[in-house]
Amino acid sequence: MFGRREGDHAGTNPAGRNPAGGTGEALRLDSVSKVYGAGGNRVNALDGVSLSLPTGSFTAVMGPSGSGKSTLLQCAAGLDRPTGGRVFVDGAELAGENEAALTRFRRQRIGFVFQQFNLMPTLTVMQNVTLPLKLAGQKADKDKARAVLERVGLGDRLRHLPSELSGGQQQRVAIARALVTEPKVLFGDEPTGALDTRSAREVLALLQEAVHAYGRTVVMVTHDPVAASCAGAVLFLADGRLVGQLVAPTAEAVAERMTHLADEVERQRATAGV
Amino acid sequence: MLRLSLSSLRRRRGAFAASFLAMFLGATILMAFASLLDTAEGTSGTAKSTLTTMALVVGGWGLVLVVFAVTSTLTLSVRQRGAELALLKSVGATPAQLGRMIVGETGGLAVVAALLAVPAALLAGRGLLGMLHASGQVPDEIGYAFGPVALTMGLGITFASATGAALITARRATRVRVTESLMAAAVEPGGLSRKRIVGAVLFLALALNLGVVTATMMRGAGTDAMATSGQADIFAAIGLALLAPLIIRLATGVLAGPLRRLGGVAGELAVTNLRRRTGQMASVLTPIILFTGTGVGTLYLQDIENASMSAAGLAKTAEQKDIETLNFVVIGMIVVFTAIMLVNTLVTATTHRRREFGQQRLAGATPGQVLGTVALESAVLAATGVVCGAVAALFTVLPFSIARSGTAVPDGGPGIFVAVAALAVVLTGVTALGTARRTVRTPAVAAVGV
Ligand SMILES: Nc1ncnc2c1ncn2[C@@H]1O[C@H](COP(=O)(O)OP(=O)(O)O)[C@@H](O)[C@H]1O
Ligand SMILES: [Mg+2]
Repeated sequence: MFGRREGDHAGTNPAGRNPAGGTGEALRLDSVSKVYGAGGNRVNALDGVSLSLPTGSFTAVMGPSGSGKSTLLQCAAGLDRPTGGRVFVDGAELAGENEAALTRFRRQRIGFVFQQFNLMPTLTVMQNVTLPLKLAGQKADKDKARAVLERVGLGDRLRHLPSELSGGQQQRVAIARALVTEPKVLFGDEPTGALDTRSAREVLALLQEAVHAYGRTVVMVTHDPVAASCAGAVLFLADGRLVGQLVAPTAEAVAERMTHLADEVERQRATAGV
Repeated sequence: MLRLSLSSLRRRRGAFAASFLAMFLGATILMAFASLLDTAEGTSGTAKSTLTTMALVVGGWGLVLVVFAVTSTLTLSVRQRGAELALLKSVGATPAQLGRMIVGETGGLAVVAALLAVPAALLAGRGLLGMLHASGQVPDEIGYAFGPVALTMGLGITFASATGAALITARRATRVRVTESLMAAAVEPGGLSRKRIVGAVLFLALALNLGVVTATMMRGAGTDAMATSGQADIFAAIGLALLAPLIIRLATGVLAGPLRRLGGVAGELAVTNLRRRTGQMASVLTPIILFTGTGVGTLYLQDIENASMSAAGLAKTAEQKDIETLNFVVIGMIVVFTAIMLVNTLVTATTHRRREFGQQRLAGATPGQVLGTVALESAVLAATGVVCGAVAALFTVLPFSIARSGTAVPDGGPGIFVAVAALAVVLTGVTALGTARRTVRTPAVAAVGV
């Protein structure tokens, strides 16, 4: 339903070594940096981040608030332009002279799910899911859209407006919309951040299924150690730099690492401030 | 609540600027005509009656138009705050507190706008009197006065209509429950309330009545027929504007097919926006109808008048030429006012769609596709507005032509209509696209974040 099945590899390898049966590198960042503002207000939101994620991997990104997680995702997804460095999605360099070019690049390769869903409020569930296809100039394949919506458990809500759905249901529509174009990489910026525990679990299960059953590559920012433990690996970010990684994480290990990280950042900031 | 108001004032500078501009221009026009009453004070004879007639008749139409325009601009800006109000409510603000906040803000803004309009009105009023001097309708000895009538009318009417509009809108906005208003902020179908229907019937009946009176009782009455027919188009335009939500639904019903077939995905998005955001679209349609209706109506009025003067073999005296000029100035003021309202409303309404445009881009739309949707919506609104405006203008044109020349169709040809309609289309298109272009410069992620 999410496209071709690409083998059942676990894809828990964030370091770029291809797992057996994988089809290569889905996402690569080469010393990507992002500077906001100028002069005294300069913020180094990303400070030379390099990473490589194989196809079919599920990676969580964690870090203290303001560490650059959203910036990382947006630069990797072509929603924002890095100040320096290069981004490759499915082997193609993400570069475009203008927004239209970036948009066309994203349409073919990238799906994005937000904390606040960002569905079009005036369109029905069905219309929201077929919209990316129509915008890309493809035939609005209703059967395909219906199939994806049935997969996420909303086959009976096709004609509802987003405002008539719960948060969890809206997020599932957003996932269906992101997957209907069969993107190489699916990004989620705290996709469970606005949901109750049960809805969050449903959303995480859908993301896992997209990876394990359909070979999508998923990168998800989260604050929740339990959510992170659904991923094959966790990357830790602090002050715009990658500072660690945890493969096959458990919620306890993630929580412990986050506590350490918070203490460390606190300490570093304190020394820098003196 | 005052502190809250002030901070809200700072954050929503754009929307407040629109309300402010509407009230400022409205107060200027009101006070310019009202100051003729101050000037008439202490005069006598024909000078007094000329000044009073001009102030009451022309000022009277102006008043209706201005009050309606200010009201609809304010309604739009309060409605745009639906989400903010819902948020305030969800943190415990009572409807009464919110009502006081909105009415207080609007009332304060109205007083400031009216006071700042005094110098502008003084200049405009002096200019009007200057033209009355030049045409000999008022002797040169009569000097200009700007006094208590102008001030009380200007301040009073601006304040009353602004707070009145705020009260009505605020009541509607604060009455709905929190969850409902959070949703309504996103989708708002814009039904046709009974109040709107009653108002529309009233204004249309008034316009029809004026038309019938002009065509029958004023037949052969010469220039005097202008007094009854001149305002019919304004009333008809207001009546149709009140029906705007219904008209948009009808127009969308007719145009949905072609839009979808020819416009592709942009056409389809335009159709859903017109269907699901009828209220917002209606507030844009309103000034298009007012502009076209009053522009076409009053310009044909003067054109027919000119034609029948020359048909009667009357060579225009210098005096008549001056009167004609004066008429054109008055018409010009009204047309310029409605044109500014058109631009004002469109800028406010389009800027407010930043988040919607951002969501569309995040779903995979290029900026060009967003602008394509806006262009199609604008085309539908402009075409609908021009048709409605033309219908409103007929309430003035047909009866006046019958009264002046005996035939319903004026000889002037379609030139004036084509020119005004083209201007309406260009103003609508350029403003909507220009504003949308500026709006999509914000990165999509930032646009949906606020
Ligand atoms: N548009 C922006 N303008 C200026 N600074 C920004 C902008 N977006 C993010 N930042 C700054 O960049 C840093 C990283 O932000 P972000 O990526 O949102 O962090 P996170 O998602 O980890 O909380 C923060 O210091 C934030 O203040
Ligand atoms: Mg973030």
